[in-house]
Amino acid sequence: MTITSRVAQTARPAGRKNPTSASAKTGAFRSKNKIDPTYYWMVVPVLALFAFFITLPALVGVFFSLTNYAGYGDWKFIGLSNYVNIFKDPAVLQSYIFTFVFALATTVVVNVVALAIALGLNAKIKWRTGIRTVFFIPMVLSALIVSFVFNYLFSNTLPVLMERLGYTPLATSILANENLAWIAIVLVTVWQAAPGATIIYLAGLQSVPSEVYEAADLDGAGSFRQFLSLTLPLILGYLVINVILGFKGFLGTYEIIVGLTGGGPGMATQSVAMRIFSGFTGGDYSYQMANAVIYFLITLLISVIQLRLIQRRGVSL
Amino acid sequence: MRHLPARCTGLRTVSATPLSRRALFKAAGLAGAAAVFPLAGCGSVPSSQNGVTTLRFMQNKPEVVAYFNQVIKDFEALNPDIRVIQDFNEGNFVPGLVRNDPPDVVTRGFAQATADFVRKGVFADLSDLPAAATIDPKIQDLVSSWGRYNGHETSALPFSLAAAGVIYNRDIFEAQGVSVPTTWDEFVAACDKFKAAGITPIYGTFKDNWTLGQGMFDYVAGGALDIADFFARLTGKGAAISADAAESFTSNFGPVLPKMLELASFSQKGATSKNYADGNAAFAKGQAAMYLQGPWALSQLVAANKNVRLGSFPLPVTNNPADTKVRVNVDMALSITRNTPNMAAARRFVSYLLDPSVVNTYNEKNAAFSPLKNAPAVENPQITGLAASVREGRYYQGATTYFPPSVPLYNYVQSFVYGKNSEQFLSALDDEWRRVAERTAV
Repeated sequence: MTITSRVAQTARPAGRKNPTSASAKTGAFRSKNKIDPTYYWMVVPVLALFAFFITLPALVGVFFSLTNYAGYGDWKFIGLSNYVNIFKDPAVLQSYIFTFVFALATTVVVNVVALAIALGLNAKIKWRTGIRTVFFIPMVLSALIVSFVFNYLFSNTLPVLMERLGYTPLATSILANENLAWIAIVLVTVWQAAPGATIIYLAGLQSVPSEVYEAADLDGAGSFRQFLSLTLPLILGYLVINVILGFKGFLGTYEIIVGLTGGGPGMATQSVAMRIFSGFTGGDYSYQMANAVIYFLITLLISVIQLRLIQRRGVSL
Repeated sequence: MRHLPARCTGLRTVSATPLSRRALFKAAGLAGAAAVFPLAGCGSVPSSQNGVTTLRFMQNKPEVVAYFNQVIKDFEALNPDIRVIQDFNEGNFVPGLVRNDPPDVVTRGFAQATADFVRKGVFADLSDLPAAATIDPKIQDLVSSWGRYNGHETSALPFSLAAAGVIYNRDIFEAQGVSVPTTWDEFVAACDKFKAAGITPIYGTFKDNWTLGQGMFDYVAGGALDIADFFARLTGKGAAISADAAESFTSNFGPVLPKMLELASFSQKGATSKNYADGNAAFAKGQAAMYLQGPWALSQLVAANKNVRLGSFPLPVTNNPADTKVRVNVDMALSITRNTPNMAAARRFVSYLLDPSVVNTYNEKNAAFSPLKNAPAVENPQITGLAASVREGRYYQGATTYFPPSVPLYNYVQSFVYGKNSEQFLSALDDEWRRVAERTAV
């Protein structure tokens, strides 16, 4: 979680490169001899807090990933052997595969669902404001509470219901099925994350001028054609933002899994964040710190690639 | 909570207002040094005010807070110069160690994780405490078998010994005319009889994977193998372990695992979606004849149905009744942290806790066994069935307790019960064990 948010935060200034350099040029006359210290007052305290609470602990973590430190007691340097061992650990590899497949699947589903909801909520339907409010409720609920409620539904309500309907494949909890448990996790994550994406899409849809639709109507384009040729290209920037932010967030998935399956059944739904966190309680601090460093580098790489894509699209985050 | 000296926080230096660049660097450097050497930074300060020493006592069982509140009250009445604060959130212990500010007196369940603290020298030596001599050496051995700091120290004194077996519903057993089984075949026959009568033989709570680990996995392995000896040989082998070695899980556990699956098959339909709380509620209502749980479930069961008549017996895993052993764990062991500034007060408190009136009463109330040499015989009908095994020393510490917490053992056990692939399960355990040995050996 912290890793991805850190990536998001460090990434943001780079994305704003163009607008700031443009405004710097106009302000250059005024501040030729002396820069207004107010700017420093804005930046330095935040920078100091950021450095102290995020950068420094991260560096301490990197430092300890080179030791056999358990979080307490004696320790010594062991070089890179934690890193070497990570690559030999199939449980860690499995958690990486699960996390990436999960993040990909969830990103796709969230965006399809959110876009559909946004289109519906943007149309002139009855009780629009009321319905919008209902759709945004999941966003304000704590993920952990939501997942415990769903846990109960999946384990008790759904099996009873399915048994009564005579549909045997779902008559046992899908959380207890090693092959299906991840679907439950995707479902709950989508339920929780879709409203956030919907807001962004709604903002996008409202930025599309109604004249283009009027023109399309005159040309005789159907509503599906209008969506495909007008709406989608015009809100593409919002789609890119949603995909990127969503994917980053889902890579750090943790609390919904804890509430639903606890990483089980068996090892089926262990996310990377869960493995890393297990190091704190498991006396495996330095080993999982090495894992965290590797995961940080991977998410950093993904962020850089995504930023490149954004800049090519001309979208600024 | 005790206040830390200002130099320990470090934070204050950064947020101080005059932020010259030099001051900032200095602060960052200080904070960096403090963070990199977490144990060197702040020393412990004796916490006494007006001649009253404040002890922090962290105990590991939230359900017995009331009992210890009473004990502390009695202790403070006898020792007006000591004040004891109880903390029952065990999760604070490691953070306390990291801050170099752990509680003074600790109780912990004794297993691999606690043994690791012992090996790292977190606890003080208690061997010269007079109360240490009153403890049954066999039970003290359960603690020492995990290794001693410096090879001879006594880092923890057992306070409560929990024995776990099969909890059974006496009414159902009597109604079906089934007596307590003493061999595996008798046990299977009893299960078949219940099944034929339409009664679930064993209530399964597979969703909570720890119940599978401490239940059928530990019972079957412990009943059939010499667990302590197995792990001693396995640990001796270190990182050189492989699946085909004589010391491996594959070579030793392979023959006994089918019995686990047999136990699982006696569970109710839909056991995979039931958790521990569901199981307690259902078993208390008489929805099954037996329940593979330890004494910690007893109070929950009685809370759910105060009329339920319960008993326990050790699960027989072989057909020789003399082989039957019971799973025990030192549920609470008393330790004093090595660097406590209040050593004298802490020792007085620990001695008081090991007074027969305190320790025996506790165990009597909580369906556990007292670790004292001349403890009275247990009379609680819920656990009398286990007393003979405990008295004669026919017991083992569960195989799950030997695993380092970094191995997600319960997940593996659950995988095995669901997928029934014992080869995959055991080779995964061998691999995990080897990897942990590789990275902790250096």
